[in-house]
Amino acid sequence: MKEDSKPNGWLTAALLAPTTMWFLFMLILPLIVILVFSFGERAAAGGYAGGFTFEQYANLPARLKAFQNTMTFAPIGTLLCLIVAYPLAYYLALRVDRRYKLTLLVLVIVPFWTSLLVRTYAWIFLLGGRGIPSLLEWIGFEGVRLINTPGAVLIGIVYGYLPLMVFPIFVSLEKLDKNLLEASDDLGGTPLKTFWQITLPLSMPGIATGCMLVFILLMGEFLIPAFLGGGKVFFIGNALVDLFLQSRNWPFGSAVSVTLVVIMLITISLYMRLTMRTKTSRDESLM
Amino acid sequence: MRIYSIAVYLFLYVPIGIIVLFSFNAGRHASELRGLSVQWYGIALSNPFVGDAFFTSLVVALSVAILSSLMGTAAALALQRLKGTLRVLFDGMIYISVMIPGIVIGIATLVALVTVFNFLNPLLASVWSEGVKPPKLHMGYASVIAAHTLFTMSLVIILVRARIAGMDRTLIEASMDLYATPWRTFYQITLPQIYPAILAGFLLSFTFSFDDFIILPGYINFAVKIRISAHQIRRQQDTGLGIYQP
Repeated sequence: MKEDSKPNGWLTAALLAPTTMWFLFMLILPLIVILVFSFGERAAAGGYAGGFTFEQYANLPARLKAFQNTMTFAPIGTLLCLIVAYPLAYYLALRVDRRYKLTLLVLVIVPFWTSLLVRTYAWIFLLGGRGIPSLLEWIGFEGVRLINTPGAVLIGIVYGYLPLMVFPIFVSLEKLDKNLLEASDDLGGTPLKTFWQITLPLSMPGIATGCMLVFILLMGEFLIPAFLGGGKVFFIGNALVDLFLQSRNWPFGSAVSVTLVVIMLITISLYMRLTMRTKTSRDESLM
Repeated sequence: MRIYSIAVYLFLYVPIGIIVLFSFNAGRHASELRGLSVQWYGIALSNPFVGDAFFTSLVVALSVAILSSLMGTAAALALQRLKGTLRVLFDGMIYISVMIPGIVIGIATLVALVTVFNFLNPLLASVWSEGVKPPKLHMGYASVIAAHTLFTMSLVIILVRARIAGMDRTLIEASMDLYATPWRTFYQITLPQIYPAILAGFLLSFTFSFDDFIILPGYINFAVKIRISAHQIRRQQDTGLGIYQP
């Protein structure tokens, strides 16, 4: 090797400098502030007053419902997304004519480019009194109520996050060696057996990536429950908006944030450990 | 399976179709369609808040996309030379910044910056010479761009790094052996190979930032404007541009 191809320490440092600055001021500093605040007390006029108390953490059960909702809706929503997305990704990757593949794939992402806010508004109408319920009434089912129910929140979740699930699964199915499918077929494997023993295991990396993406984003979701849950179904995100911006109880909000971050770090590291063990190549299609 | 796919596409597009349909609604209310008209487009376009909000989003999203692709690519290139504790530290921070919910980091940054500014501003004022108006640090475009960039930068790093991992190393060695300077090797070999990942990162960053309103409304000074415009948009949706039913 020649002299100048040696790793250059100064260059590496210079290339990393902006990123380091960002991590320090936009990630570590805010997290430290939140951590410090979570041990403080609420000032009389709202905001933060210094102190060292575990009172905020002791108060956490007051928001237990939000934690419970998030911890149930996030996994269920992720699973529903997976169930809806997998057949579509399978169809796009293995069944569709090559000519239409790209167009159909782009059509899945296009809704993602319009604002989630606006799309969720559309569902308020669709699920509201003059939308689907009135259609159902016309057919003969009366008194169906959709808006402001857990079901409405789940529909909103599947709708909002579907593209994020389809994409990674599509990528891993697309890469799949078609010869394996033929071989299984030739050796007398039924379609179900081929799917169970070849297609599904080989698409695991895509499933793992998609599930993680959707789950992470769902844990911080607050728009969909706020719009479609009508105050009956609320997530930690909604509790945080309320605590920081409306009731201005910063220390308690900080304690809730810290708890959420800790829960996420634990769940995700467990999840990663689990998927790493079952699947050797998790590196493909990371995003 | 084809029928199923058609059903999913319908599921994805019916709500968007409804928004488009109601945007041509001649009536004021979302609950009923009273003939077609383009009047709401005129009202939306002539509304300064809508225009301002759109322009703000565009400037912020473009800055975020440019900043994060530049810094993210630089960091991804440097990280492959890094080993040991530092590497683990950076990896951890990259994943935490992607993992942390937008609502948490948005509010945390808001609280942190307000606290720091409240501390620094009197200090700056006391240091400043008499009679000259001291600079005042406050929330604005810069803080929004910086907050968005944390997430999108990490996204770019992950994308570019995955691409570098799949890159053909022998080409770089060949280039070195043929006495190309490091800069030339980068420009002629590395860059063309990682270019798709950078582009994907740029587009993703732009999309995320443009669509984001979690981090935006949190910022105090800036927020006033954005919140008003969000409110205005909501009111317009109330009256025909959208389909909000109270």
